[in-house]
Amino acid sequence: MDAQLPTATATATATPIAAPPPSNLAKLAESLKLEHQFLRVPFEHYKKTIRYNHRTIEKEVSAVISGVPAAASDISREEAVRQLTSLVSRLQGLKRKLEEGSQTEQLQAQRCRTRLEHLESAEVDNLPKWNSIRLKRILVDYMLRMSYYDTAVKLAESSNIQDLVDIDVFLEAKKVIEALEQKEVAPALAWCADNKSRLKKTKSKFEFQLRLQEFIELVRTENSMQAISYARKYLAPWGATHMKELQRVMATLAFRSNTECSTYKVLFEERQWDYLVDQFKQEFYKLYGMTLEPLLHIYLQAGLCALKTPYCYKNACTNEDPLSQEGFRKLAMPLPFSKQHHSKLVCYISKELMDCDNPPLVLPNGYVYSTRALQEMAKQNNGKISCPRTGLVCEYKDVVKAFIS
Amino acid sequence: MKGKRGQFGKYIRNNVRPQETENISSCSDLFTNHTLLAFLLPLLTQPSTSPKYFQSWKPISLLIAGMELNAIQDKFERVAKKQKVSSSKSHEWMEQVGREIEQALASIIQWDDNDSSISIDQKITELKAKLQTIDSQSNLDRPQRELNIDFAKYQKLLEKILHPDLSKTYRNADFDPHIINQIITQHFYREGLFDVADCLVKEATETEAISLRVQFQEIHQIIDALKSKRNLGPALDWASANREKLKDSGSDIELKLHKLQFVDILQNRNRAEALKYIKTHLAPFASSHMKEIQKLMGSLLWFGKLDKSPYADMADPIHWENLSEELMKTYCNLSGQPFTDPLSVTVAAGVEGLPTLLKLASVMTGKKQDFQAMKQLPVPIELGKSFQFHSVFVCPVSRDQSSEENPPMLLPCGHVLCKQSINKLSKCNTRNFKCPYCPLDASVAQCKQLHF
Repeated sequence: MDAQLPTATATATATPIAAPPPSNLAKLAESLKLEHQFLRVPFEHYKKTIRYNHRTIEKEVSAVISGVPAAASDISREEAVRQLTSLVSRLQGLKRKLEEGSQTEQLQAQRCRTRLEHLESAEVDNLPKWNSIRLKRILVDYMLRMSYYDTAVKLAESSNIQDLVDIDVFLEAKKVIEALEQKEVAPALAWCADNKSRLKKTKSKFEFQLRLQEFIELVRTENSMQAISYARKYLAPWGATHMKELQRVMATLAFRSNTECSTYKVLFEERQWDYLVDQFKQEFYKLYGMTLEPLLHIYLQAGLCALKTPYCYKNACTNEDPLSQEGFRKLAMPLPFSKQHHSKLVCYISKELMDCDNPPLVLPNGYVYSTRALQEMAKQNNGKISCPRTGLVCEYKDVVKAFIS
Repeated sequence: MKGKRGQFGKYIRNNVRPQETENISSCSDLFTNHTLLAFLLPLLTQPSTSPKYFQSWKPISLLIAGMELNAIQDKFERVAKKQKVSSSKSHEWMEQVGREIEQALASIIQWDDNDSSISIDQKITELKAKLQTIDSQSNLDRPQRELNIDFAKYQKLLEKILHPDLSKTYRNADFDPHIINQIITQHFYREGLFDVADCLVKEATETEAISLRVQFQEIHQIIDALKSKRNLGPALDWASANREKLKDSGSDIELKLHKLQFVDILQNRNRAEALKYIKTHLAPFASSHMKEIQKLMGSLLWFGKLDKSPYADMADPIHWENLSEELMKTYCNLSGQPFTDPLSVTVAAGVEGLPTLLKLASVMTGKKQDFQAMKQLPVPIELGKSFQFHSVFVCPVSRDQSSEENPPMLLPCGHVLCKQSINKLSKCNTRNFKCPYCPLDASVAQCKQLHF
């Protein structure tokens, strides 16, 4: 047995696996994996611009080609010159437009690269700064989702992170949301038309809901004939997939807006418009690959779950624990407590962790403090220790070590 | 492998005394322990199994994360390249069409009325035919199709490497926006972003948090003066106004401020002024801080060449940085505010905890309901040291967290178990029992309740 030992020790020291990974690095790598939205949104935006530009060129050039006067039309020379000149100027207009378009493309591609570089720049050394930028990004995301646009812009400018947040993407949503709040569906419908294929793929019924609301508004103003012709044109195509809802809305023609019948009364409520705004936001988030909840909510919830212990609600809870604050406590109310598999002891005096480097010591009265804190105290008081919670005074040599596993 | 791991734990429990378990903090320590090594040897020498055993320890370091980021970058550049190909193709197409039309136009303008060989009509027909061939040969769809494929690939790669849905473990607990807005406003005050905070207050119409503005503005003005203008005036005014409170909390920040002011005078003005300063402002501290004042007096001798003196460290600009931090800490302490920003702490804990929660969600698929209702998480979330605010004792036998009814108890051998486990081991205090970690006998009467 003994003869084997040296070789075995050599193996042990030679294998790199003997050293556990620096956990900070692993944690950082894990945290980078949470940044899907950060990379995805600018990419979706880029993709959208590319597609838009491509469609424009295809449509315009085809129009120009078919705009060439038909053969054998026997047109005069002047007429031919006029028509061809207008086609040439149309193409020139398109060219200018495309120049702008490709500039936008370049900017957006650059933004995608900037974000990748930002992720790459995260290192253990610059972590505090990187983390504070991450918090700002999360906050800007929250502001944008809550429609606090001015604050979002100000915050992004104050920290110079405009390229790391999606203000321009949300400005597209702003128009639609503001119109819906004014009970106008036109911008929302235009948005649906712009993103038709994507919405179809996700089987979105947002457009249908918009149409239903427009129909309801016609019924509200007792414009029955118009309502019926509207329904024929815009609601009927959805019949195959959404018959039940269609029938329900059609029934409002019979009940009118002052009905007390609860099934139909809700359809006339103002809340329906708020519901549409929410619905739009969900569709918008999905389209851009964003999380459906604000990032801030997700991180806060995860953080509160991880921090929540029964001790947080005791009076002795330290100020530094976020859960000692009223607001955080309220937010954590519906969340589960964290779970511990291993003891984690914090010294009452020094607030340091009591582990193998700084093991816990027990006073004769059963109160436990860290070795370092008690040594320090003993040094200043000629080997005497006084318990800060009970006032008991004892000798340093009377304390015993506790083994916590 | 799992079975062996279980044996391993049991082996340690049975053969290693508490002192030794204390020492085994890392794997390398294990190898210095001979009895353990005897156990580990077969593991190390069986090539088929041993690497697997350690696989979970393999560093998922940034190196790998970096490689994955590089993969994403490469894929992206591919998309960008394909986009250029596609766009240059369509531009070319447009140019071609334009050229043909312009040529036709030019020839029509130059056309001689007397030229009977070709009519305008024919020219236009010619143009039309040409354009149609250009159109049919343009083949714009192919690069576009290829681009679409790369779009999809990039998206898939992002979804593979990163977590595409962070809200998998989101509990539909409606967060009150008022509370969140107040928390954010306070965060901005704390960071000194007062105009952003004001903007938020206006846009979100939250006025409750505004009371803290004055407080944080005061400390930010003090620190701003100190840091950017090296003006200690406001800080000293504040310290002398709060002298009693500072004394009660055991802070000597006022002395530190005076010291810094003295060094500043010594470096930038003359010796007489420095001496005068020490007489008027530092003398009152003499009774309690004699040593430090002596040191300051000593530094007077090296006027003009402080950086080459034994007191050189006093001139280090780092003191300004450190003091401003300490000032902030003291200020928060006096006003009952936490020093670390609660929002940053919680979000940072969230960032550390979320990967574990997401892993949990992938294990618990189909049981989303359970997740919405659970009172306690089923797995621990390991947070860094800075997030430990409370002592949590978990009984190593029952795995229960200690509570008032079930407090931690110290056995005579030094091991700690919770009361219920001791009751079980002693068959409800009817007999002596062996500590599960060492062979030492103990009776319930010998056990002592602990307070952490």
